[in-house]
Amino acid sequence: MRNVIWLVHTSLDGFVTGPNGEMDWIRLDDELFEDVHALVSTADTALFGRVTYQLMEGYWPTAANRPTATKHDIEHSQWLNPALKIVFSRILKKAQWQNTKIVAENIRDEMAKLKEQPGKNLILFASPNLASTFMNLDLIDEYRFNVNPIVLGRGKALFTDQRSLNKLKLLESKTYKTGVVKLHYSRTGE
Amino acid sequence: MSNSTIVGQVNKVRKIVVSEFVSLDGVIEDPGGSEKSKHGGWTMPYWSDEIGKFKFDELFGSDTLLLGRVTYQGFADAWPSRTDEQGFAQRMNGLPKYVVSTTLDEVEWNNSKLIKGDVAKEVSKLKQQPGRDILIAGSGELVHELMKHDLIDEYRLLVYPVVLGSGKRLFAEGTKANLKLLEARTFASGVVLLRYQH
Repeated sequence: MRNVIWLVHTSLDGFVTGPNGEMDWIRLDDELFEDVHALVSTADTALFGRVTYQLMEGYWPTAANRPTATKHDIEHSQWLNPALKIVFSRILKKAQWQNTKIVAENIRDEMAKLKEQPGKNLILFASPNLASTFMNLDLIDEYRFNVNPIVLGRGKALFTDQRSLNKLKLLESKTYKTGVVKLHYSRTGE
Repeated sequence: MSNSTIVGQVNKVRKIVVSEFVSLDGVIEDPGGSEKSKHGGWTMPYWSDEIGKFKFDELFGSDTLLLGRVTYQGFADAWPSRTDEQGFAQRMNGLPKYVVSTTLDEVEWNNSKLIKGDVAKEVSKLKQQPGRDILIAGSGELVHELMKHDLIDEYRLLVYPVVLGSGKRLFAEGTKANLKLLEARTFASGVVLLRYQH
């Protein structure tokens, strides 16, 4: 069975961006990127809410071609650009980025269909609003939080609209040299 | 890292340590269930001897408790009648306790003193006295107030694998802090200790 894995960087107080979309506080290094590559290599599909998708669409299609491209830019581009990308949005009508599909409604049915199809895992990148919808529909199988050692005070919340208690099972925690802690959970199956 | 890092030392300037049970979505309300709130008691299924040992070492590494009114009242109701072989309850009851409240006029729990008025100033004075760590547990509003004044030296967060969706939160809107990770430790029941220095 293909798993839906939510991958997100968060501040210690549970924000995914600052109040003006700031992401410069997110500590990234090769050690963390290696883990991200290992994760995406288990997957063939990327899931996004509109805001995250548009942010990514502005960067990744050309990221590997820039003179300043890093090893991560190149490797992640090689995975993400050809991968199937699904954007869940009622607003977005068309997408330029290759291999993108827009889903406007019936998230539950669409996800059920996707999960029945053969294939690798599906990774939900950031997209906190969509992640809340997914959590309320019990669509997330695994959670990968990278917790940064900072309290932002304000910003876009990681958890926005949880309607019920979600009990998870800790699979792994790992400390990076940057002070980021990876917390990896799965649904409990209770 | 060893447990010795939890056992406080006698320092010239004492550390203020905030120790909390916190859900994945940052809620600290009613971890033990005594307040009868919606999700009260959410830590209970995950209790283990390891966590007990951690809390024990922490309590015995501190020589003062600093509490807000709500947490104080919960503790003052529960602890005086408790005993245990390890002496945890005896230590809770015996330690000096400072209670921050604008509404209480007296505090009856053994060895408790009331702090009224300028909290930041009073707590700063407390830090200058010789001794071991000053431990804050629960006491969300007090933590918010002390964070505003940069008076907290260390955070020990026991992160539980639950998303509660509502309840009082550890961090207040608008307060910022850059922290240094001291330790991340996993307990077998799925709880992760995150320890940060401010």
